[in-house]
Amino acid sequence: MTKTITRRGVLVGAAASAAVSSNSLTSANASRPKTHEVRITQFKFEPDVVVVEVGDIIRWSNLDLAPHTATETSFGWDTGEIAKGMSKETVVTEDMGTRYFCAFHPHMKGTITIKL
Amino acid sequence: MKKTISVIAISAALCAFQASAQDVADLNDLEMAHVAYTADNIDIRYAHMALALSSNPEIHAFANTMISDHTAVNEAALGLLDKLGATAQDNFFSQALNDGAEQVINNFSNLRGVEFDIAYAANELAYHQTVNDLVEHTMIPNIDNDEVRALFQQGLEIFKIHEGHAEMMVKELTE
Repeated sequence: MTKTITRRGVLVGAAASAAVSSNSLTSANASRPKTHEVRITQFKFEPDVVVVEVGDIIRWSNLDLAPHTATETSFGWDTGEIAKGMSKETVVTEDMGTRYFCAFHPHMKGTITIKL
Repeated sequence: MKKTISVIAISAALCAFQASAQDVADLNDLEMAHVAYTADNIDIRYAHMALALSSNPEIHAFANTMISDHTAVNEAALGLLDKLGATAQDNFFSQALNDGAEQVINNFSNLRGVEFDIAYAANELAYHQTVNDLVEHTMIPNIDNDEVRALFQQGLEIFKIHEGHAEMMVKELTE
């Protein structure tokens, strides 16, 4: 679990926290729900693990040319096709399946960790 | 026996353009764009055939991916050509590709069930390997326009994923 922090990782992290703080400004004093951004780029979900709470929103944005999906492993939930440059969202529920893949490119996998 | 025949037909279809890689290097950007567009459309045709002839859900899933990905690449290519105010140019190699595809499709039409599935998967693997090799080593180094080259690179990234996916499919079907 020791992961080298790359320069790129730090930059992405900084961008992500900037996005979160602007988000919390626009949503005034409501701290929930939080939106978690997952970028789909070069046939990967980034980050491949998102840590969320029930009621939060996960938004997948496709930066690839090819269309993708985020589909629960046993097809419990599914964003449907996310075309190039498009985003789809899903609301985190307590009983949702937490492992997902791209139905078009099954080697692409992601995990949702729900904090209790 | 039929399996042997289908493999021979596929190899014959692919041989036609392996031999002419040197000539492909001499194509201009608009001819290369036409080759890529043709190759995409051929794979979409194969996929529609697979949807019609196979009842294997894995084959259907793969074929649907081929349709959506190759359509996306073709739309991007047409968008770029439009932006550049250019039109793709038909050429000897696009025609050779189409002729090869006719042979493969004729061969597919005689196959059913697992025989079809194996032939389709094997053809997808061979087709993507051959076209990827050509795109990476012959076409991309000879493209003049930066935007056209960038699009080919993006396409190659997608088609390499397809190649890996087809490889797994062949393994599963022949195990």
